[in-house]
Amino acid sequence: MRSVPKYRDMSRRKFLGTTVAGVALAGVVAPNLAFGAAKTVKVGFLAPLTGEVAAWGLPGLYGCQIWAEQVNAAGGIKVGGDSYQVELVSYDNEYAPDKARTGATKLIREDGVKFIMMLGGDTWPAVQPIANRTGMLVSTLLPSDLSPDTKTLIAPCEVHPIYNVTGVQWLAENKPDLKTAVICAQDDALGRPSVATYLAAFEAENIEVVDTVFFDISATDFAPIMTGLLAKNPDILCLDTAYADYVHPLCEQAYQQGFKGQIISCTADFYEKIIEKTSKEFMEGFIFQFPDFDDPALNGPRINFTDPNGFYAEYNKRWPGEWGAVSWEYASILDLWRAGAEKAGSVEPTEVLPAMKAGGKGLHAFGEAEWWGKELFGIDNALVGDWPVVVIENGKAVIKEFKSIPAWWRKHGKLLVKHFDKMGEMYYQRG
Amino acid sequence: MRDGGSADRGKAWGWLAGLGLLCAALIALPHLLSYSQQEIAVFLVINVLLVVSYRLLTLTGEWSLGHVVIMGVGGYASALFTKALGVPVPLAMLLGAASAAATAFVLAFPLFRMKGFYFLIGSFAAGEVIRLLWKRFRVPFGGPKGLKLIPSFPDLEIGALTIDFFEPVNYYYLCLLVVSISVFILYRLERSRIGLTFHAVHWQDSLAESVGVSTWRYRTLAFVIASFFAGLSGALLAHYIGTVNPNRFDVGEMVFVLIWAIVGGTATIYGPILGVVVLTIINEVVLRQLGFDQMRPLFYGAILIASILFLPQGLESLVGKAREAWAGRGGGAGPEDQRFGAQ
Repeated sequence: MRSVPKYRDMSRRKFLGTTVAGVALAGVVAPNLAFGAAKTVKVGFLAPLTGEVAAWGLPGLYGCQIWAEQVNAAGGIKVGGDSYQVELVSYDNEYAPDKARTGATKLIREDGVKFIMMLGGDTWPAVQPIANRTGMLVSTLLPSDLSPDTKTLIAPCEVHPIYNVTGVQWLAENKPDLKTAVICAQDDALGRPSVATYLAAFEAENIEVVDTVFFDISATDFAPIMTGLLAKNPDILCLDTAYADYVHPLCEQAYQQGFKGQIISCTADFYEKIIEKTSKEFMEGFIFQFPDFDDPALNGPRINFTDPNGFYAEYNKRWPGEWGAVSWEYASILDLWRAGAEKAGSVEPTEVLPAMKAGGKGLHAFGEAEWWGKELFGIDNALVGDWPVVVIENGKAVIKEFKSIPAWWRKHGKLLVKHFDKMGEMYYQRG
Repeated sequence: MRDGGSADRGKAWGWLAGLGLLCAALIALPHLLSYSQQEIAVFLVINVLLVVSYRLLTLTGEWSLGHVVIMGVGGYASALFTKALGVPVPLAMLLGAASAAATAFVLAFPLFRMKGFYFLIGSFAAGEVIRLLWKRFRVPFGGPKGLKLIPSFPDLEIGALTIDFFEPVNYYYLCLLVVSISVFILYRLERSRIGLTFHAVHWQDSLAESVGVSTWRYRTLAFVIASFFAGLSGALLAHYIGTVNPNRFDVGEMVFVLIWAIVGGTATIYGPILGVVVLTIINEVVLRQLGFDQMRPLFYGAILIASILFLPQGLESLVGKAREAWAGRGGGAGPEDQRFGAQ
């Protein structure tokens, strides 16, 4: 005898009833299952990944990817008793304000990020109204974006260009016979405040600046610029905060035109390539501010960056020859944000920011630092402490010393304000 | 058998139906998009005005490399009128556009002593002078950082309803209205006697002069009108993103305008519109969603090369071919009707 399947006995009413019950049960159970799974917090990366300024965005994204993988592999970040996996969401703003606005809208309203990292500069003013409206926590590498109106903007890693004073200070202490300098920079939001800083730093060390040249960002021929600078016969050639695309040809020109003096610069991204184009001897003693993270000096107890040497090795394994000034910076900002979120017990921007700034101190990558900036930016949202002075020795970047920016400020702060004011870079003078 | 009158009426109804559909699609569009795509739509509409105004100048045979700087003049002027003088934003936008037109009028005196390639280089140099002035004079232009905290378009209150123009959907509709009116004016201008003279100045300037047409005046007129609308697009941009700076209006941005015009074609008014729409969608939506953020410049270059090789008449030629095919099936107008300039 053939058995009749039970479902044949099911009436439409029964079917609907059991289905509704099943769905209701799923509704009760599913949230519990979701709680059991790891939570995810999204962090936005809104910086130039293409174009002339990509060198200060893309290497940073690479660094953040390594940071996120390492943190997630170790179980994520612990917030309020929960573990969160960190998901990076990037948007290429091409260093254009309109693209930055679009990117900020996407990251905040579509992706639901809890924190956004930016390079800043030209792109910040277009994002500022959105950040103010949504209360989104945003970081910049350029503290010159800070003003009393930028309540949710922080500069927790790079106090550009203030740390440049440490390079000049070290230079004056170690090569006191150098007494004249020339400065050149691109005429933009990065170049000008940096020139003001170098002018203050040189004045503090009684080094005379005999010429300052601003060139347009569309400049491609650096021979006449260098000829004009070297005609002043300076002891020191200062390349300010020129983009990598300018530092390289400027060094080439200095080399070709026979400059034998001291070069100081904010950055020397991909310096191995400069050495290839010039010579090891020419680049010997080149001073700048951004170390390679395989430097033994970064293994000391003062450093608040997890395994810098391992990070550097992993970075170079994945992207050989791509290490630059910002490769570690955004990752270091993520460390600070993570500490803030864990301290706050929340990933919500409005709770993380006060936790980060609690006590007026923070653990900067290069040591304990203080939240500062009222006098220069109108708001204490820049984390300032020690910064390394890096010198190229035998074709390799070497940290020579960590010097204190706050100590310099206490002694020469008025000079910095004077030159910022003269250059129209004080927060109350901007646009 | 249809007589000529009923055929014309049918054609007119066809145009109206097409126009109605287009309007409905443009009105519905932002509601089909994500927030970031709404932002892109705002910038796209602004760029439509920029590239259509650029086409007006090309009607006289001159290609400028200073059009984006002129757009910037409109943006800077409008921002300054609101920030420094407290002029209401809508009025400041018109004044910004007028400032761009006035700047073009002054530039016309040296620039239209040149033609062709020399005009191209001259316009680039003039644009760079303006950009360097913005950089050099911190007061009033803000120097390299430009101007920020530019007032946005004021909220519109209709009874209990408040329209916030900071929201991309609302600003999209505002831009759509302004740009539609502007494009209609430019379209009618091209079909007018003045527009025909622009064509004559381009193709037969010696002949035009021999019958008493002042080619200098007509070139200047085209330059000034094109600059007015470019300035208006700059003002729309400035009051939306809240900032203007010299780098935003550099020659790199101008290259994009040239690419839009070349890829779209400049024989018809819809050619450059097609160019900017298609390339923006590819660049800002498709390639980004496919995760090719960093490869976009490469794709952009490839599209330009492919377009020049395989579509030398631009995307607009595809529309002509489609219509030709449609007409071959007995369904519509012939190719001679495609050009808006054709009379």
